Amino acid sequence: MRAEYLLVLGAILIFPLLLSFDRKLGLYRHAPSLAKAILVVSIPFWIWDVVVTARGHWSFNDRYVLGVAIFGMPLEEWLFFIVISFVAIFTWESIQYLLREKK
Amino acid sequence: MKEYTLLAVASALVTALVDRLLGTRVLARKEFWVFLAVMYGFECLFNGYLTWRPIVLYNERYFLNIRLWTIPVEDFVYGFTLVGLPVIFWEYFKRKEKPS
Repeated sequence: MRAEYLLVLGAILIFPLLLSFDRKLGLYRHAPSLAKAILVVSIPFWIWDVVVTARGHWSFNDRYVLGVAIFGMPLEEWLFFIVISFVAIFTWESIQYLLREKK
Repeated sequence: MKEYTLLAVASALVTALVDRLLGTRVLARKEFWVFLAVMYGFECLFNGYLTWRPIVLYNERYFLNIRLWTIPVEDFVYGFTLVGLPVIFWEYFKRKEKPS
């Protein structure tokens, strides 16, 4: 199924995204910092990925991507870095919250 | 040295350097390593799927072709940068929010 890579991204994102609205975590209170961190990290990863995808370090299976490519890279791969950056920050905050609670 | 191997290692070093230069010192915190272990767990699951299917295919010319299950070992070094950098910049921007 051509939506498969997109669905994997959705599976990675869904619970962190929903739980990020938890008031105890309050990620949305720092929305500008969140957006800035995601963007600042995604830009170098996008450049890296466009260059090495063109070089042939890796490729994407046509069967599992929608077929929308920007600079030779599937749309899903562009979204990947935004999704992972967000999930990383969410997980980081959750772990800190859980470790604080335990004390 | 294979290109992806080299780039992954270089990116991890840059991550440690950025953490130092920004003064965030995220890598010095114990919680970071708990966090990294959790993220590696997710990586095994999701990157495992992406590489098993395979949705992403790796070129043997550019990596060692040593895999944990279906995941190239380089991906774990890359993964350190991938999840470490957002946390470092998040801590940096959050700290800048507060007028000191």
